[in-house]
Amino acid sequence: MRFWILLQRDVLVAWRKKSNIYQPLVFQLLIVTMFPLGLGAGAQTLQKIAPAVVWILALISTLITLENIFKDDYEDGSLALYVLSGMSLPLAVLGKAAAHWLTTGLPVILFAPVIAVLLHLPSTAYGVLMLSLLIATPIFSLLGTVGSALIMNIKNGGMLLSVLIMPLLAPVLIFGAGAVLETTLGNNPSGHLSLLAGCFVLSLSLAPLAAAAAIKVNLE
Amino acid sequence: MGSPPSFYRITGYWLKPLLILAMLLMVYGLVDGLFFAPPDYQQGDSYRIMFVHVPAAWMSMFIYGIIGVSGIIAFVWRMKVAEAVMMASAPIGALFTALTLLTGMLWGKPMWGTYWDWDARMTSELILLFLYIGVMGIYSAYDDDPRKAARLAALVAIIGLVNLPIIRYSVVWWTSIHQGASISLMGGNSGIKEWSMLRPLLVMALATKFYYLYSMLHRARSYLLRTEQNKSWVIKQVIED
Repeated sequence: MRFWILLQRDVLVAWRKKSNIYQPLVFQLLIVTMFPLGLGAGAQTLQKIAPAVVWILALISTLITLENIFKDDYEDGSLALYVLSGMSLPLAVLGKAAAHWLTTGLPVILFAPVIAVLLHLPSTAYGVLMLSLLIATPIFSLLGTVGSALIMNIKNGGMLLSVLIMPLLAPVLIFGAGAVLETTLGNNPSGHLSLLAGCFVLSLSLAPLAAAAAIKVNLE
Repeated sequence: MGSPPSFYRITGYWLKPLLILAMLLMVYGLVDGLFFAPPDYQQGDSYRIMFVHVPAAWMSMFIYGIIGVSGIIAFVWRMKVAEAVMMASAPIGALFTALTLLTGMLWGKPMWGTYWDWDARMTSELILLFLYIGVMGIYSAYDDDPRKAARLAALVAIIGLVNLPIIRYSVVWWTSIHQGASISLMGGNSGIKEWSMLRPLLVMALATKFYYLYSMLHRARSYLLRTEQNKSWVIKQVIED
C-alpha cells in the first residue's frame, strides 16, 4: 500500500540524516539547563514548575521541526508527484504525519523522563507524563502537517507557523500539562487524559483534510 | 452584489449613511453612558469603561464569525467579494480585540488590583487575537499572489472557527475572577437590570456594528480595486472618479 511505502521512505530519509532526530532532544537539554540557572537551583521551585516545563519543552522542540515536513518534498517536486499519482492526498498527509511522529514524537516521549529527573518531577507522575505525551505528540505531528502545508513555500516561515499552530495547541497543553499536574497533586488525571484523547481523535479526523486542502491550494 | 463591479458601485452609496449613523449613535451612547447612566452600587463610576469594553468584546467575536463564514464562502465558491470581506474584516476585528484587552486591563487595575490575570475570558480573548494575527500573517506572506493568499487565509480562518469552541472550553477550566456576562437574555441573577445602564450599552453595541460595516466596506472596496487593478471596470471607475 502506498501509505506504507511513503511512511517507510520518510522514516528512512530522517534516519539517514540523524541530526533531525537528536537535535530536538539536544535543544530540550539546552533549554532545561536555563531554568535552574535563571530560577535558582532550589528543588522545590523546580518541582513546582516541572509539569509545565517538561510539557512546554516537548511542544517547542516539536514545533521547530514542523516547518520541514513538506518543505523538502515541495522543493524537489515529489509533493507534486504525490498529488499527480492519484493516491488520496489526506492519506499521504497521514503517512507524512506518522513518519514525523516516529522520528520526532517518539524520541521526545522516550526522552521526557530525563527532563523530568532534571526538574525533580515526583516519580509518581512519570507514567502519566509519558502517557499524556503518547496521546499528545501525534496531535503535534497532525496539526504540524496543516501548518507546514500552509507555509511550505514561504522563506523563513517558522515564525508564522508558530503563530498559526500555537492557538490550536493551547487546549492540548492545558489538558496535557494539567494531567501531569493533577497527578503530582495526588488527584486522578483521567479526566484530562480523556479530553486529550478527544483532541487526538478530532485532529486525526480533520487535520489530514485541512492539510490536503492547503497543499492543493499551494500547488495550483 | 456577487460581482466586484456591482459590489463596488452599490456599497458606494452606503458608506456615508453608515458613517453618519455610527457617529451619531456613538456620540449619543458615550454621552449617555459617561454622564447620565447612574453609578454602579459596587464599582462606582469606574464601571463606565464597560460602555467601550463590552461592545468591543462583542465585536471581536462577531467579526471572527463573519471572517469564518466569508472564509467558507471564499474557499468553497471562490467568490472574490467574500475574499474582500474576509480580508477587510481581519484588521478591524484584531483592533477590536486589542481594544477589548486594553480597556479590560484598565478596568482590572482599580477593580481587581491588577492589570492582568490569566483568567478564562482574558486568555481566550488573547488567543483570539493570535487567530486574527494568523489570518493576516498567512495573507501577507503570499503578497505576490492575492488569490492564493486569500484562499489560504480562508483555510486558516475556517480552522480557527472549528477550534474556537474547543479553545474556549478548555480555557474555562481555570477558576475565574471575571465577572459574569453583563447581559443575560434568560434573566439570570447576575447582569444588568437597570434600563438606564442597559440603554447606552445597547446603543454603543449598535454604533460599533455600524462603524464596522462602514470600515469593512471601505476596506473591501479598496481591496477589490487593488486586486482587480488590471480589469476594465477598475480602469473605467478610476477614469470616472
